Amino acid sequence: MKTIKNPFSKITAIVALVILTTTSVFSQDKTHLTDPEVASVAVVANQIDISYAEIALKKSKNKEILKFANRMVTDHNAVIKQAVALVTRLSVTPKNNAVSQSLIENSEKTKKMLNNASPEEFDKLYIDNEVVYHEAVITAIKDILIPESDNIELKELLENVLPALEAHLGHAKMVQKKL
Amino acid sequence: MIAIIKNICLIFFIIIGLGKTSFSQTPTKHIIEIKRMKFNPEELHLKKGDTVVWVNKDFFPHDVAKFDNHSWQSSPLNQNQSWSKVVTKSEDYYCTLHVVMKGKLIID
Repeated sequence: MKTIKNPFSKITAIVALVILTTTSVFSQDKTHLTDPEVASVAVVANQIDISYAEIALKKSKNKEILKFANRMVTDHNAVIKQAVALVTRLSVTPKNNAVSQSLIENSEKTKKMLNNASPEEFDKLYIDNEVVYHEAVITAIKDILIPESDNIELKELLENVLPALEAHLGHAKMVQKKL
Repeated sequence: MIAIIKNICLIFFIIIGLGKTSFSQTPTKHIIEIKRMKFNPEELHLKKGDTVVWVNKDFFPHDVAKFDNHSWQSSPLNQNQSWSKVVTKSEDYYCTLHVVMKGKLIID
């Protein structure tokens, strides 16, 4: 008896892996983060989403995906610019730590998946990952980074970034429905 | 004599009336702040002919455009830049850069 293969089964499996790795990175570290470490996590998290968008801009032909990816590059660069201006003003150097290191390591796996995805599966894989990634980062900012920040300006910057991430998540979900 | 007084009074009331009418029709300028990915206020009640000024207070660029045919649209606004428009009818609008940001202009 023949079994009918679901064309999205591979994508579902990949997305499930992305969900597991992304959420586990943010939930694994219960130790205290200093302000320089919080700043490092914030910058790295933004850089990672820019790197995903850059892959999308190279690989996708879909107008909605390209528009979304361009938005991610512009907005996340704006956040990095604000973060760099703040740490410069405060004379703080972002400090590499277990959370930012895990984020980088896991993003390498995700980038490999995105780069290896076929043209047919790429758009769905990219946008599904964007939904999961933004959900994980929003939770991490609310539950870890804001409570862990001692400096009021760093806390305010993170609070100001949250509505943007929520807007990105809403946008990603709209694109997801259209695919 | 009475007729002359009546005419003077009539002219006086007409002038007062015209003055009041023109005063009540003076267009008002409304400010909508774009802050934390929202239009504040999201729903604005105004009179036909009033001017609306959108001011971007976010460090992200935003724009405003008629939902969803873009029959009017601003250019992207950087932080503290503004754009204005005279409103002649009730309209829904949004930010084309962050499509979940929506607002309403309602002519009363």
